Amino acid sequence: MVHIRVDGTAYEVREGLTLLQALDDLGVLMKGVDIPHYCWHPKLSIDGSCRMCQVEVEGMPKLQIACGTPVRDGMIIHTRSERALAAREGVMELLLVNHPLDCPICDQAGECKLQDYAFEYGQAHSRTREPRRALKKRVELGSTIILDQERCILCRRCVRFCREVSATNELAVTQRGDRSTIETFPGKPLENDYSMNVADLCPVGALTTRDFRFKTRVWSLEEVPGICTGCSRGCNVHVGVVDHEVRRYTPRRNDEVNGTWLCDQGRMTYREIGAPDRITEPAVRGNSGQLVGATLDRAIGRAVELIREAVQKEGPGVVAALASAHATNEDLAALRGLLRALGSETHAAPVLTGSSDALLVRPEKAANAEGARVAGFGEPGLLFDKIRGGGVRVLIVLGHDVIHEQFLGTPEPLAALDGVILLDTHRSRLEQVADVVIPGRHLAEKGGSVTNHAGLVQAVPAALEPTFEAIAEAQVLARFADALDVSLTDEPERKREVD
Amino acid sequence: MVSPAVRAAIDEEIAKMPEKRGALLAALRLVQEERGHLCAETIQEVAEIFELHPAEVMEVVRFYNHFHERPQGRHQVNVCTSLSCALRGGRGLLRQIQAHLGIRAGQTTEDGRISLGHEECLGACGNAPMLRIDDAYHLDLDWLRTQQLLDGLE
Repeated sequence: MVHIRVDGTAYEVREGLTLLQALDDLGVLMKGVDIPHYCWHPKLSIDGSCRMCQVEVEGMPKLQIACGTPVRDGMIIHTRSERALAAREGVMELLLVNHPLDCPICDQAGECKLQDYAFEYGQAHSRTREPRRALKKRVELGSTIILDQERCILCRRCVRFCREVSATNELAVTQRGDRSTIETFPGKPLENDYSMNVADLCPVGALTTRDFRFKTRVWSLEEVPGICTGCSRGCNVHVGVVDHEVRRYTPRRNDEVNGTWLCDQGRMTYREIGAPDRITEPAVRGNSGQLVGATLDRAIGRAVELIREAVQKEGPGVVAALASAHATNEDLAALRGLLRALGSETHAAPVLTGSSDALLVRPEKAANAEGARVAGFGEPGLLFDKIRGGGVRVLIVLGHDVIHEQFLGTPEPLAALDGVILLDTHRSRLEQVADVVIPGRHLAEKGGSVTNHAGLVQAVPAALEPTFEAIAEAQVLARFADALDVSLTDEPERKREVD
Repeated sequence: MVSPAVRAAIDEEIAKMPEKRGALLAALRLVQEERGHLCAETIQEVAEIFELHPAEVMEVVRFYNHFHERPQGRHQVNVCTSLSCALRGGRGLLRQIQAHLGIRAGQTTEDGRISLGHEECLGACGNAPMLRIDDAYHLDLDWLRTQQLLDGLE
């Protein structure tokens, strides 16, 4: 450890780091110690190109870039000395010489470091009379990202990302001086599983995602912490909400889980929340054999009726549950508790699997696969056997992964049951066999905790209310328990028999 | 395809370097000598030899003035327009050449004789204005001398 002083405050930092790295390591960078920077990024190599992070170091004749200056014991640093501020003003002036200043039509406006630092360190007026360089305003770098060459300040974060993180190398800086631009090689567009991270990385409005471009002014977004539900990594995200609608996921830094990244596939899962195929209304199968819209009370009443009849007729144990690896730990605990109260140990959770990679993407395609296992919801094979063998009369189903071809492939095997109670967020062919359908809430709508593949339990708050009436699955299950007059407590010895 | 001779020369350059990509500049020079220019396909070929993404090779090609992505004329005429030369009439000289040849800097005459360009300091400030024809410097120019030089090119 070495001791340094920054603006009069003493810090003990790890040896071998540069000043910005050391401050980031302590968690004080931009949270107490503000050293503005464009090109430096905690998860990328040091570039030293933007010169914005210049600070004064006692004993060194020239200003030093904080991103590239290793800390030494006894170092005394001034981040806001007259010289440092003058240097930053100069850097800002040069960066703005060619910047179009089209903030009113720029998506980055409101979360733009150029705006922030111009406000903090720049001048209010320009001294240049020369025309600004005219470049291309809309270059499609790939299917996800659009580049505005005029806005680019050439920090090369995106280039480094493609070389160091995605390791796909699509981006390059071509030409020199004020002709420099970011480009792709003809016929080799920016196409990788993490391409949209470059838009997050871009400190200005040069790189925007086709998905979010021109959709929302960022200052009208409410950004709530959330968890991506695309796989069992549990990447931390900011859920960007406007008017009961999620407009985007952006990565939320968590060095234990996802660093500062998010895969494209996971990022786009936000669309599931406002998808047109959401189940928005409870339904009960009527006498005609058709599902008919119903109130939540009626749907819960019918579900309870089915459970009670089955237990009365066949005894406890004939109610089984197929949980979802998308459900929260709270939902799963409630389901487990309900089953215990009903004297059943027959439960499982199908977990869809798919492709994975070495960076973030995990093979299990649900946020809480591990949580389901920990809660005792294992592979569904035995449960399917028991259903086929007639040992199950009523099945409570959370989610519809079970009809994926990795499992049943079709809802048919469930048709012979006396009752299928479906608590789900999205429409599926399971509705063909469901006797009761109750709309569920997406993780972003109910909050709760999920357990990632490494066993890390992460809790998030609800980011928005659904546009329709729905309560969290755990609450639905609690209403079942109330109506059945059983307790959801997880203690087996405290269970009460259904009368 | 890069000819076996050039490929052998590239391998020789690679062998001199601690890292393969260190020989990229030399390789591009060799390939351009043979081909006259470095088109996208050629860049891709070189990228394959060096196990690089073609975008990385493109970055190098576009950084250096002496690499060309389009077919060039038989002679390269490059006028220095950096500060010292500019003060001594370098830009005026370039304008006169442009008018004389009927092309702009960056273009090639229709007969494929001359590709005209301008470049940054060639280190001959003491003899400004000056220009470079292929690998030779021509110093202390006036228009008469320049015209003779240009008209003398085959």
